[in-house]
Formats: sequence, C-alpha cells, structure tokens
Amino acid sequence: MPLFEEDPAHLSKSRLKSDLVAHSVALPPAQSKKDVYVELHLKHIDQKNAADFSSDEEDQVRDVADKEEDAEDAEIPDPSGLTDDDLKAALLEHGFKAGPIVASTRAVYEKKLRKLLQPDGQDHLNGAEKGVVYSDSEEEDEEEEEGSQGAKEETVERSDQTQQESSQNGDFFYPQCFLPSSRLLDMPIVDKHSMKNQSLYYTPKASPYKWGMKLSQEPVKDTFKDMFPDTQATPTGIHATRRKPIKGAAGRPIQYVYPDTPASPTTQERRAVERRLVPIQIQILVFLIVVVLLYLIYACVEDNSFSPFVALLESLNQGSDGEEGLLLPAETQDTPALSGQE
Amino acid sequence: MSTTSQKHRDFVGEPMGDKPVTALSGIGEILGKKLEQQGFDKAFVVLGQFLLLKKDSEIFVEWLKDASGANSRQAGSCAQCLREWCDSFL
Repeated sequence: MPLFEEDPAHLSKSRLKSDLVAHSVALPPAQSKKDVYVELHLKHIDQKNAADFSSDEEDQVRDVADKEEDAEDAEIPDPSGLTDDDLKAALLEHGFKAGPIVASTRAVYEKKLRKLLQPDGQDHLNGAEKGVVYSDSEEEDEEEEEGSQGAKEETVERSDQTQQESSQNGDFFYPQCFLPSSRLLDMPIVDKHSMKNQSLYYTPKASPYKWGMKLSQEPVKDTFKDMFPDTQATPTGIHATRRKPIKGAAGRPIQYVYPDTPASPTTQERRAVERRLVPIQIQILVFLIVVVLLYLIYACVEDNSFSPFVALLESLNQGSDGEEGLLLPAETQDTPALSGQE
Repeated sequence: MSTTSQKHRDFVGEPMGDKPVTALSGIGEILGKKLEQQGFDKAFVVLGQFLLLKKDSEIFVEWLKDASGANSRQAGSCAQCLREWCDSFL
C-alpha cells in the first residue's frame, strides 16, 4: 500500500528506480543523478497515486493532462480560421508587428504565424521529455542525442552553450546547419557590415529558429526590438541605409543636375585667362611695338638730333604700314612740340 | 561598393515610372510571367506589395517566393533593389 506522504526525495536512488520500473516508467540513462529519478517519480507515480484516491485528484490528473493540451490548443489555433484582426493580434502576441492584412498579404502573415507557433509548440510539448532526457546527461550523451534528435531543439535550448562553439563554426553559413542562426542573434551588433549580404539570403532558413530563440531568450528579445526600429527592414539589423544614391556614378543617369563644380574666383580667373590665350600673344606684340616707339620718341627728345632717328623712323615706316601710319602724324606733331618746349 | 548587378543599378538610379516587372533585380522572364499572371504586371505593383508589407524584407521575400517561385537569392535581390529604391525616392 503506497504511503500517503511519500516524499520521493527521501527515498533512496535504488528505491526510486525500482518504483519507476514497477510503474513501467522509462528509466533515465544510467548514472543519472537522483533528481532525475525524483522528478520522474513525482511526475508519473504521484499522478497515478492521486488518481487512485479521489475524484478531486482525478481532476488534478486530468488538469495536468489537459493543461498540456490546452497549452497546445492556445498556441496553435488555425491561422486560416482567424479573422484579420485576430491574425494581427496573434502575430503581435509573438512580438511581430504586421502591416495591413489585405487579400494579398494575408497568406504571408498566416504562414508567418504558423512559423511562430511551431517552435512554441515544440517547446511546450517536449519540455518535459527533454528535461528528463537531457537535464543531467549533457556531458555524456550529448553527441548521441544530437544525432537522433537533430540539432534543432538543441540549439533552441542550449544556444548559450553553442554560441561559443558556433562562433567558430559560424564563419561558414550552411543552410542546413542551424548553429549560425544563434550567432546571428548576438553578432549583428558587433559585426554588421560583413554579414549584410549573407544574412539576406539566409533569413528564410534562420527565421524560424531566430524567432524561436527570440522567444526563449528574454535578453535577446530586447536587442531585437532595438534593432527593428532602427532598420525596419532586415531583422538582423544589418542595413546600411543609403539616403542618396551616387548620382552619375557607375553609368547611372544623372537625375538631379547639380551645378558644375563650384569654381572659386581664382579658378574662374584662370579660365578667363586661358580663353584669351591666343589673343594674348598678339596683345603682347602690340605692346612691345608701342614700347619701342615710345623709346624712340624719348631718345629723339633727349638727344635732340634728328638725323639718325629720322632714318630709323623712316625704316619703321617702311616696315609696318597699318599701325604705324596712325602713330607717325602723332610723332611728327609731338617732336616739334617737344623741341619747342626746350 | 557592394556587389550589385547592372540591372540593380539601373533600377535604383531613377524613378521606376512604368517599368515592367522584369526590370526588377532578380526577376527574369519566367518569374516575370508568373507575377504578371497574378496581376503584378508592372514594377510599381510589386512596389505596392512591398510597401504593404511595411518594407519588411523578410516577409517580402517569403511572399515573393510563394507568389513567383523565386529562390532565396532572387527574392533577396529583388527586396534589396526595392528597399534601395525606396531609400532614394520614397
């Protein structure tokens, strides 16, 4: 006859083991700690004992069983059956702010909700089992269980431990490897630029696990929220927003024509000078001729002797007709005037 | 400069106007036909869908894959193209 106040913690390990076997409960792996047996004992045997006694306790059993089912039902309503508002609310519950739910967007948001629901359901359903199987046997049976169960649930539960491992593996983004997705959570703050293009391609694969992990890890959730308002586009927060395209670069047609490169006054002067480059030579030539003529006039005035300079003037007359023709009358007038002064 | 295709640069450099849906980066003949069958015959209609989804690249990629059968790379390219266009012109 079972004791009423049987406290499994007070029983010995071997006693617990035998009890479990008696109630045909699956034993945890050998060498497990006593706590495992205690838990199992509490869970299975105490339920059974309770059921044997009274209807109240039967209800308890049912409640325990129903709770799991209810949790399941609450988590997985059929997204197709929801109204637009309900769908939006459901998405909001999972931390995802959806846009307007219209004919064309509804399908996508339903799919999104399903994705969000799946990891939740798995967590609730398998929590107990995993607790039994994995809680104290991580060191020993890690590799074995990983192979059988798949890395999926492992990363969700023990992403903290895998983060350090994945940081080594994470350099390679394998679509089938779910480890890098945990890195995606933590690394974006640190390593934004290199991951931008890669994360775009892997978001569909990473998203369910990312969402799942987001829910199971509270601190990470906040950083996501912080990242979302900033980027509004890439969930990984890697987005270098380009406000203005590089106009005219890389063959892009220039949409808005900016004024030509602003020229400083010196640049403008230089340009003006360059424009007159050819005529400038002619100006210099004319200037030199005028200088020569003026010198001759001065020399005439100084020496006050006409003969050599008259000969010079005559030679000049023969040399250049057009320009000098005008100057000659001026000179002949000047020289008598100047000689008159003296 | 990031590794964007010429098609991407052509699209992002100017207002899309009445460009066909095949002008989008990542959308070729086959995908374009599928989108047109669904009523997305012009690039601006796809832009409309992108905006309806609040410019969320992830959701848009999901939608595009469902609607046209694009793969992740093509859909991601289209999303990036539209996002950059919006940054410049919206």
